[in-house]
Parts: sequence; C-alpha cells; structure tokens
Amino acid sequence: MTERQHWQMAFLRQARSDWEAYQRTSPAVWPACHRLLFLQMASEKLGKAVLIASHSTLETITQSHAAFVMFMRVAGNNQKLQKALGMKKVHQRAQFKALLPLAHEIELLAPALAQGGRNPEYPWKDASGNILAPADYPFPLMQRLHQTPHGIQLLNYIEFFVKKFEELFV
Amino acid sequence: MTMSQNHNIGNAAEDLIKEQFELEPSLEQVVWIDSDKTAEIRLLEINPETPPLESVLSFYFPPYEELPYATHIAEIRPEVWKKILRHEIPLPEGWTLDNYKVYSREMVTV
Repeated sequence: MTERQHWQMAFLRQARSDWEAYQRTSPAVWPACHRLLFLQMASEKLGKAVLIASHSTLETITQSHAAFVMFMRVAGNNQKLQKALGMKKVHQRAQFKALLPLAHEIELLAPALAQGGRNPEYPWKDASGNILAPADYPFPLMQRLHQTPHGIQLLNYIEFFVKKFEELFV
Repeated sequence: MTMSQNHNIGNAAEDLIKEQFELEPSLEQVVWIDSDKTAEIRLLEINPETPPLESVLSFYFPPYEELPYATHIAEIRPEVWKKILRHEIPLPEGWTLDNYKVYSREMVTV
C-alpha cells in the first residue's frame, strides 16, 4: 500500500468513526450542535478520502473544507456508483444536484467557513447583538435533514458511501 | 505508448467531454490536459456554478467497459482557469499545460 493509500484509509476510518458518533448521539439526549458537528466532520472526511485517490496535493486536500460538495458535484461520473444505485448517469447526476443545497449547508457548518457566525462548535453574535452558544441553538437544518425527502436521501447516501467506500471508490 | 493508444484515448476523451456537456447545462468549457506520459484522461471542467475555491480538487474515476481509461476530473470556476493560466493557482501533481485543448459546447455538439 502506498503512503497515499494509507492516508486515504485513515481519512475513511475517521469518516466512519464520525458517522458512527452522529448515529449514536440520540436526538432526544444530545443538542443538535453536537450531532451536526459529527455529521459535518464525517462528510468532509468522506469527500477527502475520495479526493486522495486523485492528484491534488495532500496539502490542498487537507486545507480545503469544500471536499463534500465538490464530491457530490462530480460523483455522477462514478460508474460503480451508478451500477450500485441502479441509475443511469443522467438520473444520478440530477438526483445528486438536487441534494447540493443541503450538502452545502452541511459543509458551511465547518467553523472555518462560518466567518464568526452560526456554527455548531463556537459561540457567535447574532444580528441583534445576542451572544449565542451552539448548545442553545436549535439548528433548523437538523429537522430538514430528518424530515424532508431530500434530507433523508442525503443522509442515506452518506451512510451508503461510508459503508461501501472500498467497493465504490477504491 | 503507441500512436494507436493515443488515438483511442483521444477519442475516449472527446466522447466523455461531449457527454459532460450534454449532462451539465452550466458547463462552459472543458480542458483536456493531454499527456503522453500517462494513459489517463485528465479534465478541467469550467463551470461558473462550482463553489469558489482557490485550489484545484481533482477526483479519480476508475476505468470501466465503455471508458477503459482511468479518469481524473476537477471542476473549477472560470476565474480559477484564468489564474491557472497565469500560474497563480497550481494544477494537481503531475498535470502540466504543456499540451492541452480547450473544448467549448459548440465544438462538440455540432
């Protein structure tokens, strides 16, 4: 195994661990911020694990927080994925495109992209001047992920990618 | 690599580029980074709907029956392509502008 492949598997292991943490943190017990942080980290590392198979430098990959949306934008080119999902390229691309706004919202949860605003890790000041802690904020995104068809579909895909990674992307 | 392989990879790249234009209405141009040192297809897809990034993230797609070449695709915004041409943003490792061809929608859909 090359060093790059070791990096890929390490990102995958961490994505799987983050995803497991997301699933184990019960919504009845845990504030949305903790669950969303795990979800954001799982999706980012998943995207990076896919990216490492290509030629972008490790430095470029690790410094970027846009791996998941970029992955969702081009994943329609993966023929193994088309076969596994039983879809034609045109349908897969259209379906993934419909999920991009939600994927982008997950990506923007990364504190580095929040620009001092709402995020699931650090306090922020809102437009009215109130200082909020993530644990106090309900994060409506969580409801959209679990109660809308696109949200449910996106979570199902993330789980599918994380579980079937070796079959689909290696 | 033989001339016949080059010919085949060129046809395969052009078929793939045509399909990409058919599938993605917002795609403006596709740059085929041709290299005689590799039997891979490397594409830069220039799309203004791509998230604004100051780097080039390329993804690998394994070969399959209809496209028997490993493919690497990076989606970038038009302004990033200009910066690449000015050497302000680097290409992925091993990619060069020594030999490339820019395809527009009109070139492949006539």
